[in-house]
Parts: sequence; structure tokens; C-alpha cells
Amino acid sequence: MSQVQRQNIQGNQACALGAIAAGCRFYAGYPITPSSEVAEVMARELPKVDGMFIQMEDEIASMGAVIGASFGGAKAMTATSGPGFSLKQENLGYAAMTETPCVVINVMRGGPSTGMPTRPGQGDVMQARWGTHGDHPIIVLAPASVSEVYSETIRAFNLSERFRVPVIVLFDETIGHLLETVELLAPAPESLDERKWANGDDNAYLPYGETEDLVPAMARPGDGFRAHTTGLTHDERGFPTQDPAIASRAVARLLEKIELHSDQIASYQTLHCDDADIVIVAFGIVARAAQRAVKTLRAEGIRAGLFRPRTLWPFPEQALLEAANGAKSLLVVEMNAGQLALEIERLCAGRGAVHRLNRIDGEVIAPAEIADAVRQAAP
Amino acid sequence: MDRELEIRLSGSGGQGLILAAGILAEALTTEGRNVAQSQSYEPTSRGGLSRSDLVVSDGEADYPLVSEIDCLVILDQVAVAASRDMIRPEAIVVTDAKTVTEPPAGSFRLAELPLSETAITLGNRRIANIVALSALTAMGGLCDRDVLKQTVLRRSPKTYVDLNMDALHAGWELAERCV
Amino acid sequence: MNIAPHISAEQFDIRDFMRLEAFPHFLCPGCGHGMALRALMWALYENNISMDDLAVVTGIGCSGRLGAYIDANTFHVTHGRPLAFATGLALARPDLHVVVITSDGDCLAIGGNHLIHSCRRNVNMTCLMLNNEVYGMTGGQVSPTTSATRYTTTTPGGNHEPVFDACKLAEAAGASFVGREVTMQVPTLKDLVSEALLHDGFSFVEIISDCTEIFGRKNQLGDSAEMILSQKAATRPDSYGSKVDTPFRPNPLPTGVLARANRPEYRANLVPAKQKELGGG
Repeated sequence: MSQVQRQNIQGNQACALGAIAAGCRFYAGYPITPSSEVAEVMARELPKVDGMFIQMEDEIASMGAVIGASFGGAKAMTATSGPGFSLKQENLGYAAMTETPCVVINVMRGGPSTGMPTRPGQGDVMQARWGTHGDHPIIVLAPASVSEVYSETIRAFNLSERFRVPVIVLFDETIGHLLETVELLAPAPESLDERKWANGDDNAYLPYGETEDLVPAMARPGDGFRAHTTGLTHDERGFPTQDPAIASRAVARLLEKIELHSDQIASYQTLHCDDADIVIVAFGIVARAAQRAVKTLRAEGIRAGLFRPRTLWPFPEQALLEAANGAKSLLVVEMNAGQLALEIERLCAGRGAVHRLNRIDGEVIAPAEIADAVRQAAP
Repeated sequence: MDRELEIRLSGSGGQGLILAAGILAEALTTEGRNVAQSQSYEPTSRGGLSRSDLVVSDGEADYPLVSEIDCLVILDQVAVAASRDMIRPEAIVVTDAKTVTEPPAGSFRLAELPLSETAITLGNRRIANIVALSALTAMGGLCDRDVLKQTVLRRSPKTYVDLNMDALHAGWELAERCV
Repeated sequence: MNIAPHISAEQFDIRDFMRLEAFPHFLCPGCGHGMALRALMWALYENNISMDDLAVVTGIGCSGRLGAYIDANTFHVTHGRPLAFATGLALARPDLHVVVITSDGDCLAIGGNHLIHSCRRNVNMTCLMLNNEVYGMTGGQVSPTTSATRYTTTTPGGNHEPVFDACKLAEAAGASFVGREVTMQVPTLKDLVSEALLHDGFSFVEIISDCTEIFGRKNQLGDSAEMILSQKAATRPDSYGSKVDTPFRPNPLPTGVLARANRPEYRANLVPAKQKELGGG
């Protein structure tokens, strides 16, 4: 993996290779279209690096096994799609509450319910943020190309280990199954984030104590700390509590640790936003269509720009406001009935019109459709 | 390159079009181009529409899916409708003269070639995909003939090496004859 | 069952292995779970298993709360899923002793799928299923092991559903070690748990425990002493050949080691991939 190799590979394959490059050594999953290739590559490649692959009896069990492996110190991942993502939600909340690092890949398909298993969709934007119950921290990344699936999967592990939070990588069937020519750069070992493990004085250690970065060190079984881990609201020692002050601070810290580091987590790309009259907001495969649309429109003299979030949650708020600063309006383009648009409308309230372009028919929104929508929105 | 090149190989399931597109993608990558390959994932093993698309670019493509076709192969009538409205006026369209009875109409260059007939004459109708790939590559000047040949060789199972070489040669000849 | 050489109860002080800061515990007076916990701790002590190398994974319910009192690496996970979490932990860390504490609702209802597949896979861990016939934590609802005609808050006319025999289920699903014991006989239970801990593979032990405060009271089964004595009549240890009629269970349950199979632990069966490298059509 140390040599850069030019190859044509699929998004799902790049995802698995990125995970292994990031240090993932445990995978538990359950077959589901259109994500199954991630599991297939992991099954073949993980044993080569002394990793462990297991196909569990269901989606819930695979999420549980991933968290269990992470308890033990392994960087661990699972991959799924809509229906399976729904089933994983309870355990995802447990990982958020117990601050157990893990990475979940969601290759989105048409929904709701069984929907269109072989067709792309972007309908899980809100589920990725709010799918599990309660106020919880989560990070959601949205790569837009095969090479970015690789690099964002690596970043997902780094963020998950650094902030002890579940990280979701959200892309759609089109990118999952798309083959692109890529040169995969294996990250240098020193560039990978490793979990902060408890060490030193046994008695002073607080598994959920306040630290400057709000991310406490984790106790690794076998290291002598014998910590207690529970999804119940817990105090700094990890024991259940219903003391209002302690409970309040415990949940607040979980949310604050992401807010505090949001500038390290937020990632985005802009194209021609500086002088844009209209800024298109799109992610994933739709952002690729928008990229072409912007070039077409610019050739016609229409001043269009593109803001593409690579991090959906926490949303790169400040960057969007700056990118849209001079624009008269925004156009949010997504393959759902309008989910990210809700966030954009909230952020840009009072700053100009927020238009929407949506498809929920399992078809990717084409560049020409986006260009037409811009022409209509910005006469 | 100014614009990305959009190529589609289409027909019905089981005609080996995804394999042919994969070979072309590999040949183009060997020549230093970037390729994005996509196909529909519906179960179409036999009979239904099957297609594989390539978007060829220098560097990463803006949009990796086909929306305006430059080069098109149609090996079965069932595949005509899916592409009819996406063909650019300057496109090259290669169809199988026997199975595509109502080819798309337009100002583009249409070559109705005996692709499946040639494959049968060579001894195996399953190599029509390579005949078509070769003809399209030659007509569109998509890549060097020898690079394509080496790639086909690399990707051919042992029992198909000779057949595929014959198919490659025959397809190229068909294309040169209609120039 | 073989009689293991006993270490006298006097030498073993459970407090050495408990998190005393987590006390007072929350169990009801007369609850059988404390005795099950004592048997486990005693078996760990006897086998010289270090608390540092012990991982206890528990589910939701009264049994799920036991982990907090054990001074080891303890994980109180989601309802029904401790076997799934433990599978990941045991595979990632084969150096740890992994013990799952679960219960009739956690293991046989919401977690039933994980039980059968854990039995089938044979990953090295010990599963203790504390069976008290009821969802105690949530106030006394019917469970898959509630005896026929028993009253619970969700069977106001008496239970009409058949009872799950967890040990038969585990054996049929391929568990390589299956046993059952009652909390009445802590030393005997300790010996069974000890055998389960030493077993290489997935070991399943059903522990018949009493819910006195909720289930016992609702069904007028007497005080805790009466209830625990009735375990004797409800079960059929190897030495009891004859059928004993009892209102607690229509048919006495056999106890001791009920099934044992020598089959390779999960890891021993792993084989490298035979497929070709990435790429290709």
C-alpha cells in the first residue's frame, strides 16, 4: 500500500481500502445492496493485515460487534444502506453516549423503507444526524468521488479516534458502484490519529472526566483501569447517575466536544463563489453535476458558484455564510425531498432566497437540470 | 482536453458490454487518461437493457456520468430508447445491423455494421462485444490499436484469446471500410 | 458433573473483587441474582482469573446492572445485544476472558437471534443467562420463560404462552457447552460456572434465579426462603431420578452439564481467502 498505484476501482472498494489504510482492523457487517462490496473487500483484505472480518446475523449485531471490538482497542467499521442504517441507530447512540470510536458507512439508496435498492438517493441526511434518540454528538462526511471516498474514510477514522465519536460516511449508490481512475495515497503512519488511552496513576483516572479538549482518555481492557462503561447517563467515573447537574453536564460535554472542534471537522470546497450571483449547494454525486453546470453557466456569462460540503454534520456554517456573502440567492440541489435545504434555510434566513431542486425518483440530478434551475432562479 | 468524452456501450444483458467497457477503460487508463465507469445495477443477466458508460477526461471528471453521448454502441433494439435523447449531434453511433432494426435517427454519424454476424462467422456470437468495441475505438480514434490489443489480451480467458484477437481485427476492418 | 476440589468459602472474600464504591446495590431483598454473582466471582477466584483480564458484558434488565459491581472491565450495553458486543470484543481481544451476563428477556426475546448464532459460531466466551421468569426491571411483564398460568402485569389472566427451554435451544443451535443450575446451591453453581469458564468455545449456562419482590409476590409464591426451597422441587439434578410434581414448573428441569461437544473454537476454523487480487472483470 506504500506505493502510489494508478488504478480503476469502485467507490465501495476504495472505501474498504481507505479503512485498512487508516488502521481499521475489525469489520462486522451484514449484506445489503448497494454496500455489500465494502464487506466483500474487507473479508478478503483484512486477514492479510491480521485484521478480523465477521459477517454477523443482522445489522444490529454488526453494529454491536463493531463497538465491542472498539472497546477492546481495535479501529472498527461496518457498512450498510438505508434499512440497515435504521437498524443500527440504537447502538449508534450507545457509541455516542459511551464515546466509543467507530465508523459507519452508509451507501444511500432510494427510500423510504426497502425503496429502490439499486438506485441512488440522498435521503439519509437527517437520519444520519438525528437517527438515534436523544441529543447526541455525531460527525457525518460526504465524499463526492472515488478518490474522496478513500480519503474521507481515512479522515472518518481519524476524527472518530481523536474525538471518540461515531463517524458516518455518507455516499450514494452511484459513487459506491462508480469506477474511477485513482491514485491512492497511503497515509503516513504518523499522520493517523490514535486514540488517547488512559495511563499513569490508576486512582486519579476518571473515564469521563473533564479535560481541556473535552475528550477524556479511554480505558483499554487489560491495562489495569477496570472501568465501567454504560449507556445510562453516567458520572465522571462512569457510574449511572440521575443527579440533574451531573446529567446535564455529561450530555452537554458530549455536544460541546464536537462544537469546540468544529473548525477541525468541517470540510468543504468552493467553486467560483467569490463573485457569484447564485451559489449552488450540493454534496456527493450531485455536487459533481453542479460542478459541470457551473462551468456551463459561466460560459454563458451567468455568475454561478458552488459550495460543496464534505462534512454535512457539523455543517460548515461559517464557510457557507462567507461563500454566499455576495450572492443574491442560493439553490440547494439534492436527491431527496429537501433535507439539507432545511439547514441552509436556517443558516441563511433573511439573507436572500433559498431555492430548491430535488429528485426522489432514483435518478441522479443531471448537470443540464441544475443549469436550467439556475437560469430560472437567477434571471 | 476541453470537454469530457462520453462513451456508452449498450445492448441486452449477457452480451458482455460491461466487460468490453472495462477493457476500454483499462486501455484508456494505460494511455494516461482518467476514466469513470458506471452501469445500471438492475438484475439484467439475460434479455433486459444493459449498459456501461465511460466518461474520459484528463484529471478527475467534473461529472462522471454520461449525459450527452459522444460515442455509442447499440447491440440490441431494447437499448435504443435509453440513449435516443442523449446523443450529441456530432456523435458516432455504431449499431448491430441485424438486431437493431430501428436505430436512432439524427444528424450524428450512424454506422450500421454486421457486428453479430461477423462474430458468428468467426465462430462465436459471444465475441460481438469485442467486434463492436474494436469498431467503435477505430471510428472514434479512442485509443491506440496496439494498446487496445494488449488490454484485450490481458483480460481474455485462455479459451478466448484467439477468438478475441480475430474479433478485434474484424471490428477494426469494419470500421475502416465505412470511413 | 465432576466435583471440583473446593476452596472453602471462608478463603474467598467476594468484597475483594467488587466495586464497593458502587454500593449499596439496587437488587431487591431475596433476589437470586446476588447468589449468581457470588458463584461467578467465586469461580473466577478459583480459576485465578485476573480482574484486569476479565471483560464482563451485560444487557438491559436487573441482570444487566450486575456488571457495575464487578471490579473488572465492565460493559453495560443495549437491550438484547450483549452477545453481539461480546463477539466483537472477544474477536478483537482473544487475550481477555469474556463473560456475558444476560437474562430470559434480554437473551431469549429481544436477543434471541444473537444467542442462536453465538451458539453456532463458538467464539470463546461464557454466557450466563439469569432466568427469573419475568421482566423485573420494567415492573413485572411476561417473559419467554414465564411458567404457564403465572400472573404478570401483561398476563392478567395468567400466562397462556408456552415456555422457552433455553438449554434445549442452545444445544440445538450447536452450543459446545450447555449447563443449568439453581441459585439455591451456590457451590454447585460455582462448579458449573467454573467448567463453563474453562471451556474453549461458547459456553452457555442457564441460572434459575428468583424474582421475589415482583414475580413471587404477584403469584403468592411465599417469601424468599420459600421460593428458593421450591427450586429444589422444580429441578432435577443428576442424583434425582424421579419426577417430582411441583406447581412451580409442570416438569422438573434437569440441571448440571447438559451438553458438551468438542468442536474447534471460532478462530481455529478461520481460513485464508482463496480469491484473486483486486481488479478483474
